[in-house]
Amino acid sequence: MPEGLYYTKDHEWVEIKGDIATVGITDYAQQSLGEITFVEVPAVNKNVNIHDTLAVVESSKAASDVYSPMPGKVVEVNNALSTNPELINQDCYGTGWICKIKLASSDTKHLMNASQYEEYLKSI
Amino acid sequence: MSDLKKTVLFDKHIALAGRSHIAAFAGWLMPLWYKSISIEHKAVRTSAGLFDCTHMGVLQIAGKNAQQFLNILATNDVSTLKTGRAQYSYILDLAGNIIDDIIIYCLGDDNYMVVVNAANEQKVKDWINEVGSANILNVNRLQVEVKDLKDETLPDAMVDIALQGPASIECLKDIFNIDIDNLKSFLFTRAKANGIDVIVSRTGYTGAKAGFEIFVHPDKAAILWDLILQKGSRLGIIACGLGARDSLRIEAGLPLYGHELAGPFNISPFQAGYGWAVKLQKENFIGKDAILEKSTNFRTEVARLKFDGGSGIRPVRQFDAVLDTNGVCIGYILSCANINNAQIALALIEKQHHIVGNPIGLYYVARNKNHIQQGRLEKVNIGDKLFADIAGKVIERFERF
Repeated sequence: MPEGLYYTKDHEWVEIKGDIATVGITDYAQQSLGEITFVEVPAVNKNVNIHDTLAVVESSKAASDVYSPMPGKVVEVNNALSTNPELINQDCYGTGWICKIKLASSDTKHLMNASQYEEYLKSI
Repeated sequence: MSDLKKTVLFDKHIALAGRSHIAAFAGWLMPLWYKSISIEHKAVRTSAGLFDCTHMGVLQIAGKNAQQFLNILATNDVSTLKTGRAQYSYILDLAGNIIDDIIIYCLGDDNYMVVVNAANEQKVKDWINEVGSANILNVNRLQVEVKDLKDETLPDAMVDIALQGPASIECLKDIFNIDIDNLKSFLFTRAKANGIDVIVSRTGYTGAKAGFEIFVHPDKAAILWDLILQKGSRLGIIACGLGARDSLRIEAGLPLYGHELAGPFNISPFQAGYGWAVKLQKENFIGKDAILEKSTNFRTEVARLKFDGGSGIRPVRQFDAVLDTNGVCIGYILSCANINNAQIALALIEKQHHIVGNPIGLYYVARNKNHIQQGRLEKVNIGDKLFADIAGKVIERFERF
């Protein structure tokens, strides 16, 4: 999985550039879900705390909540997902991004880096 | 994961699917899909798919009173079965509730094989014991032998592998060299290939006109699995997981215990559209008095519905509300699958609305706390006034393939 990202136990990834964080779900998550047919993205300007529900990603297998890895305000959502939710299956770290958050705090101590996430995946 | 059981084909699933698509089902580790649910669903409709059904329970009921015993235990009439014929049936409790839906295969005079849902295997075994120890309907005067046929130490042990779809006929002819064209629905025959003895039965759970269950000794199941995939590969035959199994049976209109039978709405065979498997004219069977009442007194029944589906439309799920054109709740979704950019659902709806072509609406119940905060209901009841999120219509109860 990409090196420069942070990861959560709930299989979200987050890329931080300045005070903007981009959030998506990991390859492990998209593989477990199977064919994604629907994504419920957050409203722009929604305020979130760590672990608030940001989005819902749905496949026939499950409706999976995506939790916010960082606190802040939603400033942009990936509108392509409303017509092409399968982007998350095809390119979960790139064009399958879910939303961007303007950070209220840049503290990442609660997150895992790539090798920690990789270790975590081996344990579940 | 440690107390979950592995079927005799588990290694095949790991090799084909990898761990991430293997999930717990009825106490077993089963493949949800290998490539994708829609690829596998399509394969069954256009060529054929191979399913691991070895987790299902297989019992033998034998002895000179086996037929009478089964006629008391289950609702259909076993006396019509000759050797080589199978029938669909129900085991009820004394209150007329469904314990399991089953298929009974007549292996010979006084010798029957009964296949039960994996999720209900222990419950059925316990029930048979309870029927005996409480001597319900005097069964103890009927001496029968009950065996678990999945026990690999038995020479005639059997597990179930299903091959479903139009290419299954050519594939099985090729492997077993049997006159399969004349094996009609619910008939079965013995066959042999590469030293492997099997029973080939024209039964299945996908609605496919050509579809078979192959019963084989558990020690030979892996060899047979490989043989079918190898011989079938030129015909486009692939392995299919539980996800496709579910979308195929939903498309066909077939019921799943816990959803369209029994389950949270305690659906009876009559509501599900299977009253014909309950032979009320039989002298007696366990649950007969109770089911007699259920046979006419029901307000809701199982219907098949169609909604828009595909990318961008929220999947319809069990417990979502079915609405009439005024937004009044007339029933509940029981199962749903995304098939060819449409969503096909089985639902329990009020009888008066069960008319093919009737337009209906669908209200999604809350999937999480956010939805509840936004005012969406977690649970609905027939009669509630709601608003439709998407529109749909009632379609034929069973798909004609």
